[in-house]
Amino acid sequence: MSAIRLTLKEQPGVPLETEVLSPDALADLAHDEIRSLPVQLGKRRRRLDDFFEIEGERSDEIEVHGDLSLLKWIGRGMSRGRLTIHGNVGMHLGAYMTGGSIEVHGDAGDWVGAEMGDGLISVHGNAGGQIGAAYRGSPTGMRGGTIVIDGSTGLEVGMRMKKGTIVIGDTAKDFAGLQMKGGNIVLLAGAELRTGAWMIRGTIISLKPIAMLPTFRLARSYNPEFLRLYARFLSGLGITLPCAADEGRYDLYSGDVSVPGKGEIFVWQPAEAAASR
Amino acid sequence: MGGKVSCTLGEVKNRADFVLYWGGNPAECHPRHFTKYALMPKGRFVPRGRKDRTMVLVDIRETKSVKAADIFLQIRPGKDFEALSILRALVKGQHVDEKQVAETGLTLEQLTDLVDRMKRAKFGVMFFGMGLSMTRGKHMNSASILTLAAELNAYTKFVAMPMRGHGNVTGADVVMRWTTGYPFGVNFSRGYPRYNPGEFSTVDLLVRGDVDAALILGADPGATMPQPAIDHLARIPTVVLDPKVTHTSRLARVHITTAVTGISAPGTGYRMDEIPLPLRPALRSPYPTDEDVVRRIHQAVAEKPDWMAAGGQTTTTQI
Repeated sequence: MSAIRLTLKEQPGVPLETEVLSPDALADLAHDEIRSLPVQLGKRRRRLDDFFEIEGERSDEIEVHGDLSLLKWIGRGMSRGRLTIHGNVGMHLGAYMTGGSIEVHGDAGDWVGAEMGDGLISVHGNAGGQIGAAYRGSPTGMRGGTIVIDGSTGLEVGMRMKKGTIVIGDTAKDFAGLQMKGGNIVLLAGAELRTGAWMIRGTIISLKPIAMLPTFRLARSYNPEFLRLYARFLSGLGITLPCAADEGRYDLYSGDVSVPGKGEIFVWQPAEAAASR
Repeated sequence: MGGKVSCTLGEVKNRADFVLYWGGNPAECHPRHFTKYALMPKGRFVPRGRKDRTMVLVDIRETKSVKAADIFLQIRPGKDFEALSILRALVKGQHVDEKQVAETGLTLEQLTDLVDRMKRAKFGVMFFGMGLSMTRGKHMNSASILTLAAELNAYTKFVAMPMRGHGNVTGADVVMRWTTGYPFGVNFSRGYPRYNPGEFSTVDLLVRGDVDAALILGADPGATMPQPAIDHLARIPTVVLDPKVTHTSRLARVHITTAVTGISAPGTGYRMDEIPLPLRPALRSPYPTDEDVVRRIHQAVAEKPDWMAAGGQTTTTQI
């Protein structure tokens, strides 16, 4: 069973909603059925083959090539299979997904993995805001799974998330972990302002110093035991989290007292910096 | 989350004994606000008018409104969210360090005093302007003042209200809300309303270039929106309905002159507290009203073949 390969042949003039690009929708279809799947261009319904060259059939492995930055909802609600994207991709990638994996060799838009239940999304470029977030008016964001962004991200990463892991390789903009209810956000290169605002529970780990809100309090400075276990889990994703006592320690800030919440923000202090304080 | 706890300006006039303005300059931007509703008038439960009310102004600089205030709190620019977070913590009796307060440009004493006054008030109202809602943090700044108002209701009656401007913006929000369930940023392309500010809100759509036509009604985005948005409006077919020549109408493909609502056309305007007020025209106009033009455009569009019946929908894989 070889992968279904799609190549974008025509750039849409306005955003194209392609929630059919998911292994769940394509896995049992013959070539002709895939070609005739509906996509939404603005207010009009078009066929998938109006925009894509399609090779292959009946597979839950999908490869998509081209600049897809105007394509929304790719991998929506997928529960199995593999989706690989070579190029940039638009908003709502992997929203509501419950399984399988998505890999993007390029940049992604806003709302990556919004309200996802399980699965793995890795983006090798930058991504927009609201990663793993809750949609407006919805009480709960990401409920499980893992999102790894190698580059930087926009606002409100992990807004209202409840469970799962988000790893950001470069800086995240304001409001990372806004109203978090649980789960973990790992910021390998820190974040801009207001990290952890309105946090109820959950854990944010930053390896770079970050500006703290006045409603967070330094609770203690130590090397928590659970981080060693967590580092082992992250090493499976190719991410190293320092946790040895001789390398440094973590400052634990608790808050946000304005809620009042029991969230935790761990900020890594390498040994030299810890000694000079 | 708090939602919006609101009331009418009539209630403010008759009941409010604590009035706070945050990030606004009502003396110059809403000149009749003090005298008609919020500060000066004698009300049923505030019989001595101004003497019965406490007015607090929070802003980043001294404006003309300072003279009208009992207490002026000068906050450091861009620290509104932090200050509101501290207030929320103090309201709940949480401990906040003096040192942590310093970054807002205010002292812990000032904020504790403010919280005490808020809790002592019988009916408090917070008005917030663009100094809060349009600076860094944007919707979260507004959300934090609305949440503060909601949470203060555990102690006393408290409401929060945005200071709206620009004609009938409140009306647009209210009508969208009772027709679709959402106030703005609504997308109808699939035949049903979908709401996602940031994705479907006008500025974002225009800046990203996601739309290929625009109909502008009762607004002048060419004067207020960021340059990339204006450039996109000039690129696409833009149709403007406006009584006068505006920045937008100059770059539009089509400008239809309409009668001025409230002067030569009847209609309904919504006051900033969402009270609909009928507008009776005093003059006659040779131009059609906005409503008339939109109705005629709609009729012409309705005569075209129905794309929805021809399979406009694709909801096969929707959850």
